Amino acid sequence: MTEIITDQTPPILHGPSDKEKKYDRQLRLWAASGQQALEDAHILLLNSGAGTVGVETLKNLVLPGIGKFTIADDATVGQADLGVNFFLDEDCLGKSRAESCVKLLQELNPDVEGDWFPRKKGESLQTLFENEQKFTLIMYSLPIEQQNLILVQKYAEKYQIPLISIHSAGFYSYFRIHLPGTFPIVDTHPDSTATTDLRLLTPWLELSKFAANLTANFESQSAHDHGHVPYLALLLYYLEQWKETHGSLPSTYKEKTAFRDFVAAGTRRENPEGGEENFDEAVAAVLKTISAPSLSSSVREVFDYKPSETEAASTFWVIADAIKKFHAKHNALPLPGSVPDMKAQSTIYVQLQNIYKAKSRQDVSEVLETVRAHPHGKNIEVAEVETFCKNAAFIKLIPGMDSTPPSLQSIANKEFENDQMAELTMMPLSLLPIYLSLNATSHAPSASSSDIITSLSKEIPDASENERIVNAAKEVARARGGELHNISALTGGMVAQEVIKIITKQYVPIDNTCVFDGITSRTQILRI
Amino acid sequence: MVPAMKRDQFNSQSFGSPLNTLVKEARILMVGAGGIGCELLKNLVLTGFGEIHIVDLDTIDLSNLNRQFLFRHEHIKKSKALVAKEAAHAFNPKVKIEAHHANIKDPQFNVRWFSGFAMVFNALDNLEARRHVNKMCLAANVPLIESGTTGFNGQVQVIKKGLTACYDCTPKETPKSFPVCTIRSTPSQPIHCIVWGKSYLLSEVFGASEDESTAMDHSEDSENAKEIEKLRQESQALKKIKESMGTPSFPQLLFDKVYHDDVVRLRSMEEMWKSRRPPEALSYASIIEQAAETEASKEKVLKDGQRVWNLHENVIVFKDSLERLSKRFEEMKSSNSNGSSTEPVITFDKDDEDTLDFVTASANLRSLIFGIESKSRFDIKQMAGNIIPAIATTNAIVAGLCVLESFKVLRGEYTATKEVFLSPFAPERLLSSDRYRAPNPDCPVCSVAQVQVLVDMSRATLGDLVEDFLRLELGYGEEIVVNHGDALLYDLEETDNLSKKLGELGIKADSFLTVIDEDDENPKGPRVNLVLNVQESPEALDKKPIKGVDLPAPAQTENDEPASPIPRRKKSSQPSNGFHEPVAAPMMRMELLSSTTDFLFILDI
Repeated sequence: MTEIITDQTPPILHGPSDKEKKYDRQLRLWAASGQQALEDAHILLLNSGAGTVGVETLKNLVLPGIGKFTIADDATVGQADLGVNFFLDEDCLGKSRAESCVKLLQELNPDVEGDWFPRKKGESLQTLFENEQKFTLIMYSLPIEQQNLILVQKYAEKYQIPLISIHSAGFYSYFRIHLPGTFPIVDTHPDSTATTDLRLLTPWLELSKFAANLTANFESQSAHDHGHVPYLALLLYYLEQWKETHGSLPSTYKEKTAFRDFVAAGTRRENPEGGEENFDEAVAAVLKTISAPSLSSSVREVFDYKPSETEAASTFWVIADAIKKFHAKHNALPLPGSVPDMKAQSTIYVQLQNIYKAKSRQDVSEVLETVRAHPHGKNIEVAEVETFCKNAAFIKLIPGMDSTPPSLQSIANKEFENDQMAELTMMPLSLLPIYLSLNATSHAPSASSSDIITSLSKEIPDASENERIVNAAKEVARARGGELHNISALTGGMVAQEVIKIITKQYVPIDNTCVFDGITSRTQILRI
Repeated sequence: MVPAMKRDQFNSQSFGSPLNTLVKEARILMVGAGGIGCELLKNLVLTGFGEIHIVDLDTIDLSNLNRQFLFRHEHIKKSKALVAKEAAHAFNPKVKIEAHHANIKDPQFNVRWFSGFAMVFNALDNLEARRHVNKMCLAANVPLIESGTTGFNGQVQVIKKGLTACYDCTPKETPKSFPVCTIRSTPSQPIHCIVWGKSYLLSEVFGASEDESTAMDHSEDSENAKEIEKLRQESQALKKIKESMGTPSFPQLLFDKVYHDDVVRLRSMEEMWKSRRPPEALSYASIIEQAAETEASKEKVLKDGQRVWNLHENVIVFKDSLERLSKRFEEMKSSNSNGSSTEPVITFDKDDEDTLDFVTASANLRSLIFGIESKSRFDIKQMAGNIIPAIATTNAIVAGLCVLESFKVLRGEYTATKEVFLSPFAPERLLSSDRYRAPNPDCPVCSVAQVQVLVDMSRATLGDLVEDFLRLELGYGEEIVVNHGDALLYDLEETDNLSKKLGELGIKADSFLTVIDEDDENPKGPRVNLVLNVQESPEALDKKPIKGVDLPAPAQTENDEPASPIPRRKKSSQPSNGFHEPVAAPMMRMELLSSTTDFLFILDI
C-alpha cells in the first residue's frame, strides 16, 4: 500500500542533502571520508577545574558534526562559571555542570548526540569506565584529582585510545597528546606543488617512445609543431643529448643550471614572440623536475620501522610493506600519475596524461598483488591501495611514547641551553617554563608560586635560580586556577584542530605537547 | 565552604584592575558577524567589553551553521547582526550591544561615526569591505584589528595610522579574469567552460548581459576585433531565443543554438583549429532520445554531486535545471508586472541549487564538445563560487588572537603588537608571531596626508578649493590634480569646473577628494597625496567658504619655500627606518621578539 503511494508521488529531492550543504565548507578540507570518521566518533571530556577549555574544544567538534560526546563532571554551576563559560546561563545555577553544558552544546548541532555523567549524585567515575570500550578519544582538563587521572589513563591504555590533557590558567595554556603506539598517516595533504613526480631521469619505455616520436627530426619541425612539443618531451629530448655528450645525466646544481642554459639555447627566437612558451616552461621546470628520486625522511622512517605483530596485520602496515618491496625492486615509489598543465596540443596532452595514468595503474596492480599475497591482505580494498600509492611519497609516522621517556631535566637542559644563544640566533625563548609551572599545579590549582617552585624542584633541582621559571610560576599562581575565556577559547580551537586530524587520520598532528603563551601570542611544540 | 565567587572573578584576577577597567569602559565596533565574528563576539562579551556595535549586511545561510555557532536552523534568512546580538547578549547582560543590519559602506557610517570607537575589529570575508574599513579607520585615526581565515590558515594584524602597516601596504591579489575569446571560442581548461556557463550563458538567458561581468576581459585588439563582432551577433540571436522561454521547445532551442549552431560556426573557422582539436557539435534530439533511461533516474543523478556526470546525465540536468529556472523567472516576471518595467534577474549563487545545476551541466556539455575534462558538481561549486573552506577551529584561534592584541591597543602599546599567522602545515609550531610591520612609505592608502575640511556648501566652488585652499593656504604649486573617486575634477588642462559649486560636481558631506601633486620638477620631489574629507559646515562661514579642521603643524621646511602641513614624498630609494620589505610567504618569517618586555606588561599589574 505504502509502496504504491510513494511510487505515485516521487519525492521532490533536488541536489545535495541538507547535511552536505551544512558541511560543505569543511568537506573541502577533509572530504567525505574524513566526515564519516568524525560522525563515527564518540569523544569523552573529563571536565574539572574552571571547566571552560574542554567545553570550548567540544564546541569546535560539535559544530563540524562529531557523532557523539559525553561530559563527565561532578561540579555544580556557580556565578564564576557564568563569567567564563559560554555554554551556561542563569537558569543553570546550582545544576549539574555536565548536564547543563551538554544541553547547550547540543543546541549547536541537532545531528550530534550528547550524554553526561554522573547521572546520579555521588556516582563514582569508575562506573563510567566499567563497560566495554565506547570512546574513540578522551580529553581531560587539568587540574584533575589524582585518582581520576589514574582511572582514565588505565582505561585509555587498556583500549589503546588517544588521550589529550588540556590545562588553561590565566594567560597560559598547554595541551598534550598521548597516542597509543605509533600513529601512521597516509593522507597528509602535502602542498599540491610538491606532489608532481614526472620521472624524467628514469623514463619508462612508453614515455620515452612517445617523447622521441614528438621530437623526431626536431630541428626541421614547422614553427607550429616546434612550439607545441610539451615541455616534458623537450626535457627528455635534451637529457638524451646531454647524456651523449657528458656521459651521465646532470646531477649537481652546477650541472643542472648548465643543462638549463642548454635547453634555453634550443628556443627558436626568430618569431614575432621572440621565443617559445613551451621552452619557457621547460627551462622553469629544470631545477624542480630533474632530480633523482629520493625517499623523504618520513617515508624512510616508515620503511625502517619494525611493526609489532598486531600492527603488522593492520591495513596500513600490509600496504606499507608491499610498497617497501616495490621500492626495493624498482628503486622508486609507485607513480602518482598526475601531469601538470602545460603548453601542448589538446590531443597530445591527453595522450600524455594517459601514459602516466597507465603507468600509475600498472604500479598499483603490482602493489596490490603483493598485498593480496600477504596473509592479512585478502580483504583490503583496492581503493585503499590506490590512495596509499598516490600518497606514498608523503606518508608519515608519529612515533608513540618512548618506553623510557627523556626526563624533564634533560629537556630543560636542552631548552635553556638554546635560550643562552637566543640573542645570537634570534630564536624565540623557550616556553618550557610555562609548561613546568602549569604542570606543577596539575592537582593543586591554588598553589602559591613558592609551592610551584618547590614542586618543580623535585625534577629540576635549580628551578628557583631560573628567573624565567620563577616569573612563569608567579604568573600561574596569580591566576589561582582561574581561566580566561579568551585564552580557553583559543586553546580549544587548537585542541579541536588536532582532535580532527587524529580522528580523520588526515594532516599531520603535533608531536606531542603545545604550549601557548597569551602574553606574547606564541606557541611552542615540545616532545615531552 | 569556598566563598561564592563573582561573575568576573577570573577576569579581574588575571587582568588586574587597570586593564579590567579599560576593557569595561571600551566602546568598540565589530564589522562582520560571520565565522570570525561569532567567535569574536563571544570572546568580547565574556572578556567584559562595555559597549559593542555590530555591522553586517548578510543573512544566515545553511552552510554557515558548521561554524557560526550563534545561529540555528530556525534563523536561516534572518539578519546575522541582529541574531548574533540576541544570542550573545544573554551571556552578559551588562554589555551594551547594538546591531546594524546594513552595509558598512553606507553613508551613515561616516568618519565621525568611526571616530566614536576605541577600536574596530574587522571580521570580514571580502577585500572590498576590508579596504573600506581600513581607509575609514585611517581617516578617523582609530586603531583597527584586521583578521582573516582560509581553511586551516589565518592571520591577525593591528593597524594604527602612522605606526604600523595598513591593510593596503602590501598589494593584494585581484581576482583573475579570462580573455573573452578564450571563454567564447577557444576554451582549453574546465575553468574556461565553467566561466562560460556562469558568466555568459546563465547571465545571457536569465540576467544582466555579459558586458557587466568582470570575469571576462573584453579588451579588443586588431586581431580579435572580427571575432568579437561575431560573438556580438551570437548574443543577439540568443536574445531572440529567450523569447520562447516557458514553452516546451525552449530547452531544445537553447541547446541547439549554443551546442550545435554556434559550434558549427566556430568549427568553420579553420584557422582556429590548425593547432587545436576542433569542437564536436551536439544535437539535442538524438541525445535526448538516447537519454530516456537516464531521465527516469533523474532524481538519483541530481543527488549525486560527487561523481562526474556523463553526457546523458548532463543533458538531463541541463533540461531539468533550465525548466526550473525558467519557471522561477516567469513567476518573478508576473509578480512584478504591476508597474515595474525592469526585467527580473537570476544571478549565480553557489548555494542556489538551480543555478549550480545549470552551470554544472552547461559547463560539462561544453567541455565534452571541446574534449576537456568534465568535473563533478562538488568541484564546479568550488570553482564557480570561489568557495573558501571554513571551519570553526581556525576561527576560534584567530578570534582569540584578536582579543589578545586588543589588550595592547587599549594600553596604547602599539610597539608590542604582533602580526600572527597560523601555520597549520608546520606541525612543529602551529602559530608564528612576528613583530608588527612599519607603514610602507609608498603605500597609496596610508602614506597620504589626511585633512578634514569644513565647507560652506551654499557657495563654495571648486575654484575656492583649488586657488584659496590648496594654493594659498596649503602652498601647492600649479601642477596639481584633484580627483573625486575615479572622476577627474581639475588639472591644468581641465579648468571648466572651477566656477562650479562643489554640490554641482556631486560632492557632498563625507565625500573624499584626492589631491595629487605632479610637480616632479621640484628638487625635493612632489608632495604626498592629500585626501580631503569634506564636512558640511552647519552655518554659513563668514570669511572663506572652505576651512581646514585641525590642520597638522607645518612640516619643517627650508627657507626657500612657504611652510606647508603637507609633507613631500619620501624617495622610495631611501629605505625608511624599520620598514620591512613585503614578504611573499609570511609563514616562513622568523620570529623577532623581545619577550621580556611583554612579560613585564602583565607582571607589572
